[in-house]
Amino acid sequence: MSSREKKRKKRSLKPSPSPESTSILSLPDDLVVSCLARVSRLDYRNLYLVSKSFRSILASPELYKTRTLLGRTENCLYVCLHFPDEANPRWFTLYRKPNHSTKKTKKKESSCNLLAPVPILNSPPLELSGFVPIDCNIYAISSGIEDSPCSNVWLLDCRTHTWLQAPRMRLAQSNELMYLAGSSEKSESLNFVEVYNTKTQTWKPALPEDPNFKFGNLEGKIYMKSDKDFLAIKPKYWIGEVVELDTDSGKESICVIENITYLYDEPSGMFVWKIFNTNGAVFRRLAGLEGLPKFARYSDVRLVNCGGKLLVLWDKYVRASGQKKKMIWCAEISLEKRNDEEIWGKVVWFDAVLTVPKSYKFVCAVAATV
Amino acid sequence: MSSNMIMLKSSDGASFEIEEAAARKSKIIANMIEVECVDEDKAIPLQNVTGNILALVIEYCNKHIVDDDDDVATEEASEEEEEAKKKKVDDWEAEFMNSMSLETMFELLLAANYLNIKSLIDLVCQTIANNIKDKTPEEVRKIFSIENDFTPEEEEEIRKENAWAFG
Repeated sequence: MSSREKKRKKRSLKPSPSPESTSILSLPDDLVVSCLARVSRLDYRNLYLVSKSFRSILASPELYKTRTLLGRTENCLYVCLHFPDEANPRWFTLYRKPNHSTKKTKKKESSCNLLAPVPILNSPPLELSGFVPIDCNIYAISSGIEDSPCSNVWLLDCRTHTWLQAPRMRLAQSNELMYLAGSSEKSESLNFVEVYNTKTQTWKPALPEDPNFKFGNLEGKIYMKSDKDFLAIKPKYWIGEVVELDTDSGKESICVIENITYLYDEPSGMFVWKIFNTNGAVFRRLAGLEGLPKFARYSDVRLVNCGGKLLVLWDKYVRASGQKKKMIWCAEISLEKRNDEEIWGKVVWFDAVLTVPKSYKFVCAVAATV
Repeated sequence: MSSNMIMLKSSDGASFEIEEAAARKSKIIANMIEVECVDEDKAIPLQNVTGNILALVIEYCNKHIVDDDDDVATEEASEEEEEAKKKKVDDWEAEFMNSMSLETMFELLLAANYLNIKSLIDLVCQTIANNIKDKTPEEVRKIFSIENDFTPEEEEEIRKENAWAFG
């Protein structure tokens, strides 16, 4: 149809005369939200700098509601690092740097992914561990209170980047996985099983009259069992499965994607995957991975399930720094299960994402859905 | 299939004839038809939509009503056919959106919102979102004519916070 407007104005050259008529902010808020909800969260960091009103829209609960409604939530990598001589650990998120292919950039920048600092205003007073992402929250437990009847659960709301305290719960101790040390009394009693519902943020005892209660509806819930045996339950990833504490649990270089455990085997320098079948655990080498650099022996290697993709983080000394600094690298690996015997990993990208002091401590790397 | 025609009248007085099936893409108009408050001889006045924008809305509705009919007719279509068809629609939509300025896009979005045409709202919002992707704050301000209302001090503070990203 000829009525369609054909004059394609050069937007960037347009003199901006009446901001009223052209500004996106002249639209009703719900429409602006509807537009911004479709933008990747990786771009939000830039958008925060646009204007105050933009900033407040980006921080509004409506925006995140809309993202959920539109199915536009994304899996965002969060990394927590502790730098020497600093009281609180720092948080970072994987961020995509705007691609400056224009002449404006002075130095040539090949790297597009970076770990960007996440400003978190408050920090829990205790050292946290056992970071478990559930939806838009990262749950953590204050550590170092082994066998204590009370522990504190905190959650980092990744929409607002604020730490909140979850209601107190009985008994918790954790490492990479969330598991429980039981009390000695009534070790077989299910009265000590508690269910934490992340939606309502309440603790409830599991039904005591149902000794064979199903773990099938683990999704979005953390089950706690008071028992002498350690039970490892990783919500969301270990759906319908309670695992016994095996030797690999608690290692950082392990992650579970669709019921398959992936781990980096440091001695052999290989990535391995593991499934449990009737005969026990079966290990296989993760094939492919073409282009992935070899890690140093000392490298701290972390594996993260980021919405079904495998993210691998590792560090390496920066030679030019006289071994005073380390570089954290990150690779995204897509996984393809060809058959029961073979899983192939394809390196989608890898980048140097952050320079850190050499004696930093890697606290955790998890992916939240926001 | 009946091809009842109905009339729409824009805020600036332009009249448009449109197939009822196409007009039903708008939930507002569909509702009006349901409750039979559409007089066959009279045009439906749309006070919030100007003629040039209404023309775009109608072009969109006409295009998509044909697609919807196709979907019903060729339920058994092969996957490739489906894909080819989807691509055709996508291409058409891309071309459709490409042809308009940002101001027009905003007006079209307001009209789609007023007329409650969900798929058109989605399309325009997505196009606007694509314009934001991978842009620096300055670029976003320029494209969308947004005033930088941070004080120099505030901006300096934010710059510092983000030095790593722009340095």
